Amino acid sequence: MADEASKDSKPFDPMEPWRGMRDAYLDTWSKSMVEMVNTEAYAQAAGAMLDTYLTVSTPFREAVEKAMLKTLEQLAMPSRADIVSIAERMTHIEMRLDDLDAKLDEMHKVITKLGTRSVAASAPQAAKKAPRQTKKAGQSKRMKRGKK
Amino acid sequence: MAQATVMTDPYTQAADRLRTLTKVMTTKAAIAQTPKELVWAINKAKLYRYTPVVPAEKRHPVPLLLVFALMNRPYILDLRPGHSFVEYMVKQGYDLYLLDWGAPGPEDKNLKFDDYTLDYMPRAIRKMKAISGSEEFSLLGWCIGAILTSIYSALRPDDGLRSLILLTAPLDFSNKQGLTFARWVDERYFDIDKVLGAFGNMPGEMIDYGARALKPVENYISNYLKLWDNIDDPRVVEAWHAMNTWVTDNVPLAGGAFRQLIVDLYRNDRLMKGELVIRGQRVDLSRIRANLLTVIAEGDHITPSCQSEPIMSKVSSSDKELFRIAGGHIGIMAGSGASKYTWPHINGWLAPRSGRP
Repeated sequence: MADEASKDSKPFDPMEPWRGMRDAYLDTWSKSMVEMVNTEAYAQAAGAMLDTYLTVSTPFREAVEKAMLKTLEQLAMPSRADIVSIAERMTHIEMRLDDLDAKLDEMHKVITKLGTRSVAASAPQAAKKAPRQTKKAGQSKRMKRGKK
Repeated sequence: MAQATVMTDPYTQAADRLRTLTKVMTTKAAIAQTPKELVWAINKAKLYRYTPVVPAEKRHPVPLLLVFALMNRPYILDLRPGHSFVEYMVKQGYDLYLLDWGAPGPEDKNLKFDDYTLDYMPRAIRKMKAISGSEEFSLLGWCIGAILTSIYSALRPDDGLRSLILLTAPLDFSNKQGLTFARWVDERYFDIDKVLGAFGNMPGEMIDYGARALKPVENYISNYLKLWDNIDDPRVVEAWHAMNTWVTDNVPLAGGAFRQLIVDLYRNDRLMKGELVIRGQRVDLSRIRANLLTVIAEGDHITPSCQSEPIMSKVSSSDKELFRIAGGHIGIMAGSGASKYTWPHINGWLAPRSGRP
């Protein structure tokens, strides 16, 4: 009994009440933050921040891109645009190949079906022909004996 | 018999806790462990077939294709052994396929919903049909994956789609007040041309920031406190580690698709209005005739229920069901209650619809 009671009861944790207070505070804070981010003012401020970042960074980015393009030209190396263009063409080729692969699969299926049908259709004829073949086989044996 | 309590000194305990914390914060958990085979690939998209564990005669003849969102890794569906939707469905006898969109590169910045739904999906489905030998199939779309599967189902209703499952599907964008994202991407505040001009594709980190900023205290503080509070419980730590691995593994969203998501859907709600045009074809949701199961997460802050409900009255399906479940956007499929509630319900609905006609 004493063992069971000691199993069920958790040891006293002095931090537990603090944790409860902390969670209650976080919960309240969370609700107010959710309300805050759902306002026009937040949307406007976030948009303005992003806009400022893009306005400031764009001239630097463009300058680096131009310098890189010139350097690559000087070195007779393909630019990013060239590689992108090749990658796009590769995707088109992949799609064409995939379509061809699917068509080949279809053709293979049709041929297999036709083959199965013709085998099935010729099976009874072959069965009819079978005794004659034995006769011929017998004849050839006789012929061979005659030759001897 | 009472077990002797192992006493550890506070310094050793603190060191152990710090070691565990460092490990889960700096390493990746072993995820996506269910055996699979790559059966098709174009560009970054890959189609996997999970190795069946049920004998062919006991398997459902109609295969199931899982289509996840474009901006996250699909292995959330196969998070860790013993806690994987994929593993569960394979054990239930499904011939299961997963379409992984991969991470778009600079060459993919012009990829749109048009390309995903009319170039990639039909080809992946064609391959799945060829492998399974079944002319009919089922689709499960989750989040943006549900947008893609809905568009596909409306544009190609005669392709053999028997059953469609939509999980937390953001399809209706008419309730602007209820959608925080809609407010953030309003054309007055968010210049999409400038963003895509700078980045080409929408960076995964920015998408991740957007998703986390919806509930900043939970995602940036409470989440880590929860880990610290349970740092001595290996089960909680393992689950947290796996989920953190997935959450921090971000994928950019192709620029063209992102533009459609913002302009056509968030700003103009063109899909529900029947005005969305995909490669010259208007997407008419009433052309969807497949059996339909829509799953709504009641605590979903990313896709509130008002976005998923209206499709029920738009489709022509005679067999349709709306299933509500407590939980969040990801929690309903990957949380601790998923294996008790969501997965069995999906299986219970799909199994009788996956037999021979």
